[in-house]
Amino acid sequence: MAEVATQTAHQDGHHDHEEPSFWSKYVFSTDHKIIGFQYLFTGLAMAIIGGFFSYVFRMQLAFPGSSVPFYGVVSPAAYNMLITNHGTIMIFWVAMPVLIAALGNFLIPLMIGCDDMVFPKLNRLSYQIFLLSTIVLIASFFVPQGGFGGAWTSYTPLSAKAEYNGTPFGAPLWLLAVTLEIVAFLIGGINFITTTMNARAKGMKLYDIPMVVWMIVIASILFMASVGPLVAGAVMLFFDQVLGTSFFDPAAGGDPVLWQHLFWFFGHPEVYVVLLPAMGVVAEIMCTFARKKLFGYKMILYSSVGLGILSFFVWAHHQFISGVDPRAAYLFTTTTLLISIPVAIMLFAFIATLWGGSIKFNTPMLFAMAFLGEFLIGGVTGIWLGSSGVDVYLHDTYFVLAHFHYTFVPIAVIAVFAAIYYWFPKMFGRMMNDTWGKIHFWGTIIPFNGIFLPLFVLGASGQHRRIYNFQNFPDLASENFQDLRIFATGSLIVLILFQIPFFVNFIVSLKRGEKASRNPWKSNTLEWVAPSPPPHGNFGDELPVVYRGPYEYSVEDREEDYWPQNQPPQAAARS
Amino acid sequence: MAGHKHPSYFKIYIILLILFVISVAGPEIADIFHIEGATRLILILVTAFGIAIVKAYYVLAYFMHLKFEKIYAPYILLSMVALMAVFFFGVAIDIMKDDGHHWEKTYEEPLVAPGESGHHEDAGHAAEVTAHH
Repeated sequence: MAEVATQTAHQDGHHDHEEPSFWSKYVFSTDHKIIGFQYLFTGLAMAIIGGFFSYVFRMQLAFPGSSVPFYGVVSPAAYNMLITNHGTIMIFWVAMPVLIAALGNFLIPLMIGCDDMVFPKLNRLSYQIFLLSTIVLIASFFVPQGGFGGAWTSYTPLSAKAEYNGTPFGAPLWLLAVTLEIVAFLIGGINFITTTMNARAKGMKLYDIPMVVWMIVIASILFMASVGPLVAGAVMLFFDQVLGTSFFDPAAGGDPVLWQHLFWFFGHPEVYVVLLPAMGVVAEIMCTFARKKLFGYKMILYSSVGLGILSFFVWAHHQFISGVDPRAAYLFTTTTLLISIPVAIMLFAFIATLWGGSIKFNTPMLFAMAFLGEFLIGGVTGIWLGSSGVDVYLHDTYFVLAHFHYTFVPIAVIAVFAAIYYWFPKMFGRMMNDTWGKIHFWGTIIPFNGIFLPLFVLGASGQHRRIYNFQNFPDLASENFQDLRIFATGSLIVLILFQIPFFVNFIVSLKRGEKASRNPWKSNTLEWVAPSPPPHGNFGDELPVVYRGPYEYSVEDREEDYWPQNQPPQAAARS
Repeated sequence: MAGHKHPSYFKIYIILLILFVISVAGPEIADIFHIEGATRLILILVTAFGIAIVKAYYVLAYFMHLKFEKIYAPYILLSMVALMAVFFFGVAIDIMKDDGHHWEKTYEEPLVAPGESGHHEDAGHAAEVTAHH
């Protein structure tokens, strides 16, 4: 019955069982897959908004004061609002929902072999709160005086008083939206952790859990442990904005640096919250397409736990020039340099996984390998910025901006595309077109470097981050600087244009793609045991039983080069 | 944890009440008998804060059921307390003082942002080295 073509282009085309109404099937569903799709499509829709914002402000930087096609002339206030909400959307409404919530919801029950999340209604509540937060955020763009413009870090005292930031309605709404979003992911995280710990298939030991599931669980734990200060800080900031308190106002005895501490105590672990699932995605894809066992499973796992613990000790490296104690700068430089070790271990493990494998260069694998290369650039430039002495010069320049885009774009764009290309057959029961996928790949990777490599140069030349029009600054207004800016903007437009093949490929494949078999990639993990797309309840009447780890590829003395986790050992003896 | 026997909550309530009386009585005794100096400090610390820790233990263990949870539940709680301590000590050096030498704010906050009081590096040093070369 799963073959009944119920694919619909608009939303979540999917399997049906007892013919529930559209609303109970797609909107108020408690099925983990549907909730995953809801997160995925909301996240992709927000990515379009965030991408459009970046196009508008990049056009302003390249051609200051001219009318931007599809937008018009960018005023300084609008520029601030675009920058702020670009950052906010890309981190909280794209990376988080797609990498953690969409992949977590879709993959965890399928990969650990159970029929649904352990708290399905909590799961639905999580998405509903997230949707509410999305609506609040979008509404904040249209209130009088426009959306919030105090940068995504929302530094006080600028963000604390309407007379400073000029957005009496936009700023509180922005804060409310972020807080609601965090509540949504807290609820979701409870679900991920509990499900993984309690609902695994029979026989699946802790070290048999696929890496991406581990990563999402560790990321959820990190998120839970770190958001407390941010929520507290958000409430205080909200009071400052709305009720006239002065937690962060130095004129009345408050302390603006306190906000930075509260924000970055959350904000830095948050980086690893989105990084870890991306690493997990890459691990899955690399093993499948290199036909090799994951190199150092336990080492990667321990490294990610160590990374998680260390990530709570590095936050003040964002504040080296905001007047933190110099001894703290010493301490936080040390921890920041230390944290590159677990990340390096993971990247080395992935490279070692590729070594000697029989690599298949299809679209998901290309994206996964691009993740390694591009993230490496982001990571290495981060080591420079982590040294407080260097950071004093580079802080708040485009160098920082290029650095974190070289980490976040691999995470939130490249790894997400890898995941979509890889799991699309399982999600929707059809294959995506590989040729168009490769066109999309090269059209994404080359312009991406075209955008951000010039920004390293500009940043090292001293170009400050938060400037509306560089022509107002004689030192930064020279012709060759402006050429680099125009090159970066041009690359961005090329990048955006090359997303069109992706969306066309996505929608056309939903309807007319080649039908996918259960296991089109010949992969080991349990989600490939379920039909494509999995019906409600995932595995039918009998849940799978696990006999081995998830990465038994190319095992000697076996006919096939893969060995699904649920295949009984005696079936293997036939070779 | 369906199997465990419920403790007598009334008994624990009585224990908490007695501990409460002790924690109130300790500082009172120090006042009544005019105990001064280190003895007074120790007495107040032990009766007020020491007893408070014991009371917190009883509340966490019995009323919050940590004693009957799986062993990792208290560890999760402890690790969160540890993170709170990390946050506190990371922030305190900036929030509670400006120059990093004492923990009490004994003066009015200057209106100028801190940061320029630092000593200037000897700029001639680098020039000297190159001149030597």
